[in-house]
Amino acid sequence: MAIYIPNLFFILLLLSLFSSANAGTVTYDFDISWLHANPDGAAVRPVMGINGQWPIPPITATKGDRVIVNVKNSLGNETTSLHFHGLYMNGSSHMDGPVGVTQCAIVPGSSFVYNFTVDQPGTYWYHSHNRGQYPDGIRGPLIVHDSNSPHKGLYDEEIVLTFSDWYHDLMNGLINSFLSLSNPGGAEPVPKSALMNDTQNLTVSIQPGKTYLFRMINMGAFTAQYVWFEDHTMQIVEVDGVYTEPMEASMIYMTAAQRYSVLVRAKNDSNANFAIVGSMDQDLFDQIPERLNPNVTGWLVYDDKKEKRAPKLVDAFEPFDDFNLVPYDKGEIFDHVDHSITLDLKMDTLDDGANYAFFNDVTYVSPKVPTLYTVLSTGPNATDPAIYGSNTNQIILEPNEVVEIILNNNDPGKHPFHLHGHNFQLVSRSADEAGPYVENGEAKPAIPMKRDTVLVRPNGNLVLRFRADNPGVWLFHCHIEWHVISGLIATFVESPLLIQSQFSKNLHNLPQSHIQACVSSNTPMRGNAAGNTLDYADLKGENRSPGPLPSGFTARGIVALVFSCMAAAVGCAAIGWYGMGDLKG
Amino acid sequence: MVNVFAVPVFFICFRECLETSIIVSVLLAFLKQTLGPEKDAAISKKLVRQVWSGVILGVFLCVCIGAGIIGAFYQLDKNVFESAENIWEGVFCLVAVIIITLMGAALLRVNKLQDRWRTKITATIEAKDFSSLPLKGRLKAWSEKYAMFLLPFITILREGLEAVIFIGGVGLGMPASSFPLPVICGLTAGCLVGYLIYKGGNRTSLQVFLVVSTCFLYLVSAGLFSRAVWFFEAHAWNKIAAGEAAEAGSGPGSYNIRKSVWHVNCCSPGSMGDGGWGLFNSLFGWQNSATYGSVISYNIYWLFIILGFGLMGYKERTEHWPFRRPLPSVRETETDSTEEQKIGEEKKQESAVYANLREMNE
Repeated sequence: MAIYIPNLFFILLLLSLFSSANAGTVTYDFDISWLHANPDGAAVRPVMGINGQWPIPPITATKGDRVIVNVKNSLGNETTSLHFHGLYMNGSSHMDGPVGVTQCAIVPGSSFVYNFTVDQPGTYWYHSHNRGQYPDGIRGPLIVHDSNSPHKGLYDEEIVLTFSDWYHDLMNGLINSFLSLSNPGGAEPVPKSALMNDTQNLTVSIQPGKTYLFRMINMGAFTAQYVWFEDHTMQIVEVDGVYTEPMEASMIYMTAAQRYSVLVRAKNDSNANFAIVGSMDQDLFDQIPERLNPNVTGWLVYDDKKEKRAPKLVDAFEPFDDFNLVPYDKGEIFDHVDHSITLDLKMDTLDDGANYAFFNDVTYVSPKVPTLYTVLSTGPNATDPAIYGSNTNQIILEPNEVVEIILNNNDPGKHPFHLHGHNFQLVSRSADEAGPYVENGEAKPAIPMKRDTVLVRPNGNLVLRFRADNPGVWLFHCHIEWHVISGLIATFVESPLLIQSQFSKNLHNLPQSHIQACVSSNTPMRGNAAGNTLDYADLKGENRSPGPLPSGFTARGIVALVFSCMAAAVGCAAIGWYGMGDLKG
Repeated sequence: MVNVFAVPVFFICFRECLETSIIVSVLLAFLKQTLGPEKDAAISKKLVRQVWSGVILGVFLCVCIGAGIIGAFYQLDKNVFESAENIWEGVFCLVAVIIITLMGAALLRVNKLQDRWRTKITATIEAKDFSSLPLKGRLKAWSEKYAMFLLPFITILREGLEAVIFIGGVGLGMPASSFPLPVICGLTAGCLVGYLIYKGGNRTSLQVFLVVSTCFLYLVSAGLFSRAVWFFEAHAWNKIAAGEAAEAGSGPGSYNIRKSVWHVNCCSPGSMGDGGWGLFNSLFGWQNSATYGSVISYNIYWLFIILGFGLMGYKERTEHWPFRRPLPSVRETETDSTEEQKIGEEKKQESAVYANLREMNE
């Protein structure tokens, strides 16, 4: 404790340095409980609400603010956690939220405190990061305002627009049937409908002549959406919290977890109202149900008395390619790579008959000890990747090195990849069916686009780069919640020794509610992935994925085949014996 | 390969054709015996021609009717079967198994076949002791005159239609294109063997040939039985996996791993281009994905066959079923007397027929 006090001092000192004059503290008390809701008018279903409300309230703050979220889990039957998607959590990796990585699950009846500063402006969102839970409703916008925004003078008003797919069944049941023997191909459940601001037929009042900043967030579980404003063009000014040079787009493609801020200039008259359309990308669906309406419609309402016409059909989906965006800060490409990592994605069936997702032939399984706590409790051994287990796809990053991720999508599906704790430069992205990445000296953008969630195309590849300047344990995963369930996750353990020094090398410097969560959920906090505190090399008893499918002939197959051949041979002998008996008779 | 050669169809054609050859040979031998060329060359020639025209017309009609029935079957709405394809495939396999199992053993007893037909034909000729026929006038006279035509014609028609129904039953699940070739091959082989039997060639090598054929027949049948079970299981799996299985081809997901004994991601009999495996499948019931059900049923089928042939062989050699004491003295005298009776009856029949034929000729 004696060491901790000066450290706290130091942090406070730093805070006062970085915070602007009006930096304050924003506090939210969130009581998470079950409610009922029917946002698409098709089915009343239980949803996870906050303080008796659903849709859940947005978190808003100003750049530099300290945000405190006091969470109480009143669900009764499920554990939970909150992740603040896109926030770097610099110096507070333990506030990032994924269960089994940076914290223990918040058990029913208990509370948990998230406490962090936001030093980045833009459009974010928050959601549960606990076993595929957020599509049950616990996801909402997180907006960080910025008095110094370069685009501040360009708009009159800002409007948050969320997009989402929607299921009528609870995730627990859907997960059980998704990850099961009866779904060997890993077909993801198809949503029942699409939502805009957690409803349908949304109306947005618009005044002629004004310019609006639409902060658009795809909070969906699975589905990307094509978004357009009928007869209006958009100017993209921010993606995933990164200001960009304004660029015009008539249609954008927003994967799950991506955000776009766009400027829309209203018409000068109010002669008509115009549709806002979100259209789910049906390429993602294994089978398209006959009665699925993939679209959700809202309206820019200039005149309430005028007709709200159904949207016109579009000839083709030709969305804006986000690769072409240019960050406002003109950050140049990291052209010297210190650490290149290749991740090969594939889907396969394991010997429980269910379909899993793999990076480099390893599917992610949550370790017994949350990875951050393994970092904090293993001293100098924390730099040894082996202690983090056999199924966590762990990669150790050195302080300040430039990291390159080469992602080869050996799967015919589209995947939106998200990195916690960072944004990354998108250095290269192939077209569909391009196969694995090959460095062929092709020109890379001098000022590459940056964001925190990026689409990789079917059987294509992409190359990402970032600087490892944020000590912490950060997941890199597909943001299709089904693929999180089936293990498409890698763990970056970034500068483990620096993380330790943030906590003065003592696990007990974690906040009290973090420690209490582990105690309440009976989760070990010390040792390697298996919870072994004596021998870090011994992973006996760790959480493992099911084994590979037996390939070809195993022992029982050979026995069966030999037996069958023998039976046939003896049978033929019997026929021969009987048949030749005819001659004697 | 499987699409152009349905192995069970070949064996059924072979067997039925062999039977037809035996009928013809029995008839010809009969004619030779009763009125050899030395007795009346003209009559003999005429009657032999009658026999052959009866045979040819019978076979021709059978082929026509058979082709018609099978053709009509393939004109039927295929959707009837597609909705539960695996169930139907399984049922077809089972039907084929029952047919093959019951008729296969007879192939090994050509002597008995010959005997059976000899008795049957004689009995028919005797029944045409024409006064007893309810025919009158010209029709009666006509049927009397062409008895040697009508006999093989009607017999072959009856046996042939049986074959058609069998082939239909066995081949229900097979594509139409898989019929012509095995039918032709089966007919040729049957005729050839029938001719050899008639000529009284080397009985041992002939019997070896028949044994080998029968072994193949039962190998096919065991495979079919195993496939029937496999199809039922595949149907159950498809219901569980809700169509995913078909999509998965022969890879993971195409089978229920909890029931799998072996699985290789190749060599699937169903997929095109793996033609050899398809043949392997129809001959021996090969599956790239064997289940407990398919393996156990295969072995049980063979157990049944071994026991069956064992029992029949035992019965033939010892004249009684196992675990049943024979009654030696009574039995011997019984058989003696019946055999004597038979011989006596045959002689009577022969003379009666001979008389009739003479009469007819006049």
